[in-house]
Amino acid sequence: MHEPVWEFLIVNYLFLGGLSAGLYFVAGLATWLTEDGASSYPRIARWGALLAPWPVSVGSLLLIFDLGKPLRFWKLFAHFRWQSPMSIGSWLLVGFTLLSLAFLWSWLEQGEREGLLSRIPARLRKRIPDRAMAWLRVDASAWRRGLAIAGFPVAVGVGIYTGVLLGAVQARPFWNTNLVAQMFLFSALSTGTATILLARLLDRHEVDLKETRFLYSMDIVLIALEFFIVLPYLIHGELSVEAVQEAIALVLGGPFTFTFWVLFLVLGLLTPLVIELWEFKPVLLGRGQFHLNERWATTAAGLVILGGYTLRYVFVFAGQASGFR
Amino acid sequence: MAKKSRKRYAMVLDSRKCIDCKACVVACKAENDVPLGVYRNWIGAERSGEYPRLRTSFDPEQCHHCENPSCVRVCPTGASWQREDGIVLVKYDDCIGCKYCIIACPYDARYHNPETHTVGKCTFCTHRVDRGDLPACVETCPSRVRVFGDLEDPKSPVHQLLSTRRHRVLKPQAGNGPQLYYLL
Repeated sequence: MHEPVWEFLIVNYLFLGGLSAGLYFVAGLATWLTEDGASSYPRIARWGALLAPWPVSVGSLLLIFDLGKPLRFWKLFAHFRWQSPMSIGSWLLVGFTLLSLAFLWSWLEQGEREGLLSRIPARLRKRIPDRAMAWLRVDASAWRRGLAIAGFPVAVGVGIYTGVLLGAVQARPFWNTNLVAQMFLFSALSTGTATILLARLLDRHEVDLKETRFLYSMDIVLIALEFFIVLPYLIHGELSVEAVQEAIALVLGGPFTFTFWVLFLVLGLLTPLVIELWEFKPVLLGRGQFHLNERWATTAAGLVILGGYTLRYVFVFAGQASGFR
Repeated sequence: MAKKSRKRYAMVLDSRKCIDCKACVVACKAENDVPLGVYRNWIGAERSGEYPRLRTSFDPEQCHHCENPSCVRVCPTGASWQREDGIVLVKYDDCIGCKYCIIACPYDARYHNPETHTVGKCTFCTHRVDRGDLPACVETCPSRVRVFGDLEDPKSPVHQLLSTRRHRVLKPQAGNGPQLYYLL
């Protein structure tokens, strides 16, 4: 058999869910790090917070469309089954989406919040109790740090869960290693970082060296972590039992070799790492300042996003093609 | 009052008797209204050896009604479940069609039903077994490959076969504890 039953909707969802987790995590970090009582990287934090809820929301819709019975999706929330990664994950997704919306709310300017509230149709507004309305009018910017801290475990949870969903299936040797969860987590955080970088670059007026440097450093660390998970994943796979060797062969000479090595590993992981390290070279050699070539930065960010997507593609399809004999 | 002893249904297959006639597949389709294009049971053919010493062996297969069914574990709604007597079933009204169980089954024994959009699988013909009959595939097999019964009952043919004949299970390394026993 071995025909894939999870296809591109799932690939897209895994990517988008991870992306949101990464956006929230980086925005949270930028909120949490403070100088003189204010966020050190307010614009990174704001961009991340404004973007974070949307990919995961689209991804969750894709998940529902992928169901054989989309109208029964509510049954996921009529049960909690701790042994099923999908059950845990669907609860996590709801919590994360609500939290990311609250985080977004807190990062709006007071004027923007008032503007949004004034758009609620009058008929509906009359129904909202005064106390709730007063609560919505409170200056939510005071919650930013609290929401950032609350968000760390949930964002990491969402990022890692996308990997656990696959890794917890013992019937598929390509997935069933203890490295897939971390690989997906670091890839998720890395695509989040790259997306904020891309958003900052496209918003040309305000590109800021200090911010870019922060995003670059984050990304270098995350890509390096991811690389040193992918490497042992391959080596351990080669040194493992027959079923795992056969599964790894899908990317070592099998149908996913080109996608994995060229699109993911070289273009999506190592090239952005080299570009980002190159920009840091003067700092690393102690001979000058971090500089920023916007074109290279855009390329690096785009490649990281491509790599994150390709990783999901390869894992979803190769995993389903693997099995025991 | 004497405690009612637990049942454990299982199947023993003497695959050397299998002639690949596929009567079991047809019987299952007819008995269970299985849609076109999907199957609850099938016959795996494996060729081995080198010319002129060739050999083809047929292994009829279906859901293994495992001791630790991974499909039941991963199901997010509890639609996949296991009866006390070991039979693994799907509650069609609770199945949302996420297909996680299809992926989690090491035997690829489950399918997405293109008509109902839920997941389907072998039920060991519970509707027949519960009234004392044999599963359709067992009853129909012309070369008597299949033996069905209660492992806990010392007088049952499955119990007697397994206590006297050497046998194996498929993919034990997947850790599911399969309950389809193949005689050697």
